Amino acid sequence: MVDWLSLAVPFAYLGVLLGSLATFSSLYRKRKATKAFSLEPWFPAHVQRDIYFNLLHLDPPKDSGSKEKKSPAVPESVLKAALLRRAIEDIKRVMQLRSQKQALAMLLQRGSVGDDLWQRFTRAEKEMEEEVRDVVAEANAYVPGWGQTIFQSANEMLNNDLYRERMEKEQAKLEEERKWWEKKKANTQEEFMKELDAEAANATPSRKQSESSAPAAPAAATPTTPTATSGAATPNSSTPAIKTPESSSGAPPSVAGSSDDDGVLVEADEQGKK
Amino acid sequence: MSSIDIYNPLPLHLDPTSKAITLSHPTTSTATTALATELTALNTLHRALLETPSQIPPPPLPINPKRSAQITKLRDSANAAYRKNHFGDAARLYGYAIDMALGRPGWEPVTLARDELAALYANRAQAWMSQRLWVEGLVDARCSVESKAVGNVKAWWRGGKCLVEMGRWEEAGRFVERGLEIEGRESEGGKELVGLLGEVREGLERKKRV
Repeated sequence: MVDWLSLAVPFAYLGVLLGSLATFSSLYRKRKATKAFSLEPWFPAHVQRDIYFNLLHLDPPKDSGSKEKKSPAVPESVLKAALLRRAIEDIKRVMQLRSQKQALAMLLQRGSVGDDLWQRFTRAEKEMEEEVRDVVAEANAYVPGWGQTIFQSANEMLNNDLYRERMEKEQAKLEEERKWWEKKKANTQEEFMKELDAEAANATPSRKQSESSAPAAPAAATPTTPTATSGAATPNSSTPAIKTPESSSGAPPSVAGSSDDDGVLVEADEQGKK
Repeated sequence: MSSIDIYNPLPLHLDPTSKAITLSHPTTSTATTALATELTALNTLHRALLETPSQIPPPPLPINPKRSAQITKLRDSANAAYRKNHFGDAARLYGYAIDMALGRPGWEPVTLARDELAALYANRAQAWMSQRLWVEGLVDARCSVESKAVGNVKAWWRGGKCLVEMGRWEEAGRFVERGLEIEGRESEGGKELVGLLGEVREGLERKKRV
């Protein structure tokens, strides 16, 4: 009896030791594996691919047997469209990978990024290779020879989409620009009217007082502007002076939202009349 | 097998009559709205594919001549309206032609659409400008040079002119200079661009003095 007991102690010791080592090793390995597996994928979920596979496996929800026989779950044309969408997304991703590869390799060489990132990248690359091969195989299964052109078509579609999007964005600016322009037109008109009112206010009292002194009044009210601009503005002031009324709304560049300029125009107009 | 066969299940539903794919439980979270837009794109593509032989996109070349002919017809009638000084009609017709060109199926070569639309946008810009609608003209001219930067002097000039008319001198200067860089001073329309640039500089000077 005593013999058995003394023997059990070393065995128990060994058992505990080996057991703990085994658990440690298995835990460690499991954790490492999950870590490698749980490396964040390079790309977000491939929605188009998910849709395609879902459609492939979509079962008709009604369990009336007669209907099931009549039509397969999803018509082939829908699957073809889904495959094409998938190819477009693939092209986007492959292009992204291609453009990122060089920069990433350089960063890795310099030690600026960790190994994890590179591992994720290579995994994404491998996955995309497989994905492209799969798409080509599927395309050939639908129509023999489509595999050769599906990515060509997808590329054109992608470029066309990008182009349309840009055009839409440009056209969308129209509203904003138009609003800006309306505001500016209104502003210049208002300023112009104000100037005109000011001129009128200046002119009327002097006219009331004595009609002979009226011609001098506007010039005296703004003595600096005519002299400062008279030399420079004469070459073009003659034309705007004639067509001021329409051109004020049609061609505000000459007015340019500055009151002084308006003053000159009005001045020239007044002088032209007299 | 490998991860290639793994996919995320999605709640899709096939409408038996229209063959449109929809979500079976429409909700309004952001993930499902993205999915819904993708499904709409899929359904549009599906409808477009139904009209093609064997329901796959034909190779990019040769192009189906029907749409090109329609666009040409619309453009010709728009040109005729412009020549008769019916600028509003011309702009509207150019608009139809533009819509038609934008509606080209996606698998047709993008360069074709670009060339066509560059010309149409430039023409519509001219039609807007004849009605003194500078904003519309500017937007169309911008679209035109976006579509095709090289060999598009007219659009560069029209865009610059619209900016000049609106008194946006700095922008006009930048725009015309970019056009000159791309077109070159020696080209056919280069001289006109140089002339416009001179006008812009004059305008800038005038603005500064004031």
